[in-house]
Amino acid sequence: MPSNNSHCNSTFSPLCSSVCLREMERSKKKVLLFYCVEAEELARKVAAQSNLIQLQSINWRSFADGFPNLFIKNAHDIRGQHVAFLGSFSSPSVIFEQLSVIYALPMLFCASFSVVLPFFPTGSFERIEEEGDVATAFTLARMLSNTPISRGGPTSLVIYDIHALQERFYFGDSILPVFESGIPLLKERLQQLPESDKIVVAFPDDGAWKRFHKLLDHFPMIICNKVREGDKRIVRIKEGNPAGCHVVIVDDLVQSGGTLIECQKVLAAQGAAKVSAYVTHGVFPNKSWERFVHKNDNVSGKAFTHFWISDSCPLTVEAISGKAPFEVLSLAKSISDALQI
Amino acid sequence: MSAISPPQSVPSFSSKSPSKTLTPAPNSTRPFNRIHCELKKASAAPQKWTIDCVSSTDPIHIILKPPNSALLPSPMDSPLKNSKRVCLFYCSEMRDLAERIASESDAIELRSITWRTFADGFPNLFISNAQGVRGQHVAFLASFSSPGVIFEQLSIIYALPRLFVSSFTLILPFFPTGTSERMEDEGDVATAFTLARILSNIPISMGGPASLVIFDIHALQERFYFGDNVLPCFESGIPLLLNRLQSLPDSDNITIAFPDDGAWKRFHKQLQHFPMMSGILAKLDSVYSINSNGAIIFHVYLTKLKLCGIPALWVVCAKVREGDQRIVRIKEGDPKGRHVVIVDDLVQSGGTLIECQKVLAKHGATKISAYVTHGIFPNKSWQRFNHDKGGNPENGMTYFWITDSCPETVKQVKNKPPFEVISLAAAIASALHI
Repeated sequence: MPSNNSHCNSTFSPLCSSVCLREMERSKKKVLLFYCVEAEELARKVAAQSNLIQLQSINWRSFADGFPNLFIKNAHDIRGQHVAFLGSFSSPSVIFEQLSVIYALPMLFCASFSVVLPFFPTGSFERIEEEGDVATAFTLARMLSNTPISRGGPTSLVIYDIHALQERFYFGDSILPVFESGIPLLKERLQQLPESDKIVVAFPDDGAWKRFHKLLDHFPMIICNKVREGDKRIVRIKEGNPAGCHVVIVDDLVQSGGTLIECQKVLAAQGAAKVSAYVTHGVFPNKSWERFVHKNDNVSGKAFTHFWISDSCPLTVEAISGKAPFEVLSLAKSISDALQI
Repeated sequence: MSAISPPQSVPSFSSKSPSKTLTPAPNSTRPFNRIHCELKKASAAPQKWTIDCVSSTDPIHIILKPPNSALLPSPMDSPLKNSKRVCLFYCSEMRDLAERIASESDAIELRSITWRTFADGFPNLFISNAQGVRGQHVAFLASFSSPGVIFEQLSIIYALPRLFVSSFTLILPFFPTGTSERMEDEGDVATAFTLARILSNIPISMGGPASLVIFDIHALQERFYFGDNVLPCFESGIPLLLNRLQSLPDSDNITIAFPDDGAWKRFHKQLQHFPMMSGILAKLDSVYSINSNGAIIFHVYLTKLKLCGIPALWVVCAKVREGDQRIVRIKEGDPKGRHVVIVDDLVQSGGTLIECQKVLAKHGATKISAYVTHGIFPNKSWQRFNHDKGGNPENGMTYFWITDSCPETVKQVKNKPPFEVISLAAAIASALHI
């Protein structure tokens, strides 16, 4: 199982690592990696992980009418090779050009085709509560499910920490979704923190707990939730005790950051020694990450000691570069392993 | 308003027996708004259509009344007897056209969608009164003017068929990416294929596969890009143009020009679905089945047009290998003393049309006009086209007709001669009743 490979990086069990080694030896294959413009940096990092991964390039231009004018270089070299595409749908306007490449590559006689889409957007809009709601996650899943099959069969689609667990069933039969997680990266990072830190993991709501508790079950846990008090909704700690601990709030993604800030306040009020946060996907629309940046004055406190995000959202990664408390945990190694599937 | 009586006979052509004697178009210097015409197929009974052209409105309103209109209720009567009721949804940029379509028929009812965005830029959509579409015929009027608006409209297009509608029709007057539909080099990405694939994946509804209405698709081969789960319906704006031409004071002095081989191939095939107007064109059957040599088809059509008494010009615009120079020559036909109307499916920068205009002026055309179904005009390239103001055709055009398939352009050229907008509303309304 791919997730096990990631676990093995943190060496939890000898049995696990020998299984991994066998798997790795069995399935080593050379992969030609294409990528979208915004994911170039991550693509380079992925290619740097292994000699077997070779970067390829695409000409991304536009016609005067705004529609894409694309050219896949060295298309002949693709024949018989394992091919992958690293995408990033940071906004609706970049979907069409990337989808054109995703639909074109499998038809160039490649031996197999994988799409790596670290962040699957629209994930929080995946249910129909009222008839008339439009679940855009369904639209996106449908578009991706319609990727042509290649010589290697259905396309694999690698996604990290998809928002709702049910979304795995939105994909049709012609595509093979592979659900990975960034949590192993967090675990590795936590191991590097000072021994004195008593680390406790906190979840901002039940949904986050459901998604992640199994991957983190050897840490003490705190679960928060929102309760209504009159007109307001406030965050409360449902279970667990933060007193004297370094609490790490864990969630799949962050948008405005409001929920995280509310959680941090409650945890600090209940005696947490330090509060940090981890999200796989730093969506941060409209620069909402600014609320978290440590200011260089002596007046405002440092609410978050660390704020870890992965590099699934490259536009954010660029924006927060070098700005404390942000730290980027790269998915590159995990992706390079996933390409071996 | 005066009616012109139908001609004695209408030519019919078949691939086997070309050209019969025909009565040329009635010459009339009186302005008229209404014509009757008769459609004669080799096998079926003749059909009588009525066409009204209201040229004083903007956009120009062409009303097509199908045959047997005595049996069908007119818009004034109670609408619900025989015709199919359609709930028409639309994207924001197409609101004006949607309203015109709904005004064509009481059987077409406008519905609304709330189009909002979440902070991350992804759409937050709500279909009002979704329960109310159960068992109804539903249509969506889309416009993919840029890649950025595709996702939100697609979300609606994928959602509507699953609301227990009795049928679903997608109207996409302009199919973009059409010029990017071939792979000349391995590595070219044919985005027309992407778009066709996305549209072919529309869920089927209780009424079966979705119908997909497109006007003047750029490349004829693109009809085969669509999968089995959609039923593409290829319509054309050309008949609307021909009707407008009939209402011009110098309608008997018009010559049609095609800027290249492709233009004629397209024109020809699309006309099949529309009523023929007397003296202009007769229905042609499968003579134009796919022929790899476009020139042959072009020439065949040119000949037929001439047999109908319609002068037609074949102007070829070719690019020379050195740099970007365009060389245009007239391959066949003579524009001298004529009002030449250049016809094509779409216009982008307008370079081809301008070059054609120069050549036609040089060869003695007295007036030059243009018609394109889709006025794309990126970066306001429509500004290159001046009005001749009754003067020299080298400096300007008399008319430049576009349809309302590209709503952004329609807004920009409003009240700016030589531009005139011909509305697709009537053609779409009748397509919805198929």
